[in-house]
Amino acid sequence: MDSAISETVDDKTLASQWEFSCDLEVDYESEENASMVYAALAVDKELQPDKVRRKMSVADGKLSVHFEAVEARFLRASFSAFVDVLTLATKTIEEFGPGMEL
Amino acid sequence: MKRMIALGFEGSANKIGVGIVTLDGAILSNPRHTYITPPGHGFLPRETAQHHLQHILPLIKSALKTAQITPDEIDCLCYTKGPGMGAPLQVAAVVVRILSQLWKKPIVAVNHCVAHIEMGRVVTGANDPVVLYVSGGNTQVIAYSEGRYRIFGETIDIAVGNCLDRFARVLTLSNDPSPGYNIEQLAKKGVNFVELPYVVKGMDVSFSGILSYMEATAPEKLKNNECTPADLCYSLQETVFAMLVEITERAMAHCDKKDVLIVGGVGCNERLQEMMRTMCSERGGNLFATDDRYCIDNGAMIAYTGLLAYAHGEMTPLEESTFTQRFRTDDVQAVWREDKNSSNMNGKEEGEIQCQ
Repeated sequence: MDSAISETVDDKTLASQWEFSCDLEVDYESEENASMVYAALAVDKELQPDKVRRKMSVADGKLSVHFEAVEARFLRASFSAFVDVLTLATKTIEEFGPGMEL
Repeated sequence: MKRMIALGFEGSANKIGVGIVTLDGAILSNPRHTYITPPGHGFLPRETAQHHLQHILPLIKSALKTAQITPDEIDCLCYTKGPGMGAPLQVAAVVVRILSQLWKKPIVAVNHCVAHIEMGRVVTGANDPVVLYVSGGNTQVIAYSEGRYRIFGETIDIAVGNCLDRFARVLTLSNDPSPGYNIEQLAKKGVNFVELPYVVKGMDVSFSGILSYMEATAPEKLKNNECTPADLCYSLQETVFAMLVEITERAMAHCDKKDVLIVGGVGCNERLQEMMRTMCSERGGNLFATDDRYCIDNGAMIAYTGLLAYAHGEMTPLEESTFTQRFRTDDVQAVWREDKNSSNMNGKEEGEIQCQ
């Protein structure tokens, strides 16, 4: 699994509506695994939709996540919590997927 | 006929547990791990979730190994939907959503409080008792009526277990294995009863004022040698348990039921059991209680309750497998008990519900 994080803080809000944004991309090299993680994590909505937004998509075996927030601290909290559960979901696939050993 | 098997996940508070059960209530495995904080400290959502993150996957392996089953043999995956702390609840929910897709198994969302009740019923054989559910997060007097577990009395502020846990912090007692257990042991050495506020309001109870009173007066009393820590533990237990027995007895009179079942973490306190047993015997009924294996949060109780619901056709679609901090006991339609009432007349037990 490869992951790439790019954080951009742009005052000139062209594409994004809110000032603080951040992107995360995880390459599962498998459409199936990426979609599984997407489906598992899409269930939980952001707790403060008026302050943080999260958009996810799957393409070419990669899971892409885009975060937007009105303040940096909301962005950090949301991002950090998300990475924790993303890691858990990924580990679960690695340990209990096809060919699992007990 | 193939036996039905469920895998259940519990992680609503400081315990993370994974259990495997069959529909007749046999527990094939039930490992759990508890997040224990240093004396004087409670557990907070973020740290507790981190604890669960570290232990949940090894627990699944251990549960499968002990039960000697493979994922193929599992009929459904059950998880605690709530009530509880958000971040810890999410850990179990996320794992269940992934396993459900990997193993192609249905999900069943379970109410934590109802799970305690069903576990208590199947372990003790109590048929239709008044239930006292006492733990660190909940305090309710419950009885089944017309399809639901109805709450007849409850705390209007903090749970009795929360009151005990936080009093243990005043005395900086160890949180290992649990603060309540250490209070119970110390209370056995208490000799002098210290008068404390006694707060019963109709069918309900309140503990926050008692806790404030303890927090405000205990350090001074101890410094002046007016009493010992053991005296305080003894007095607090006697007071809060008397309150619980009183509201339970009121609910029994109201519902015209003779038996009591105690569930939840505080339910393994033997002094509470003793006081309740005295009251029950005076009313010609029986007390049903379990030990720490089943009283305290565990995965098997979630698996068993989820399996009861699943055997009656209930499932939770992946998109709806959310968690929630607030989830009332009486929000759940106890479909498996509706059957029970009719089968009762035929003298059948719940474990005999037949499934294809």
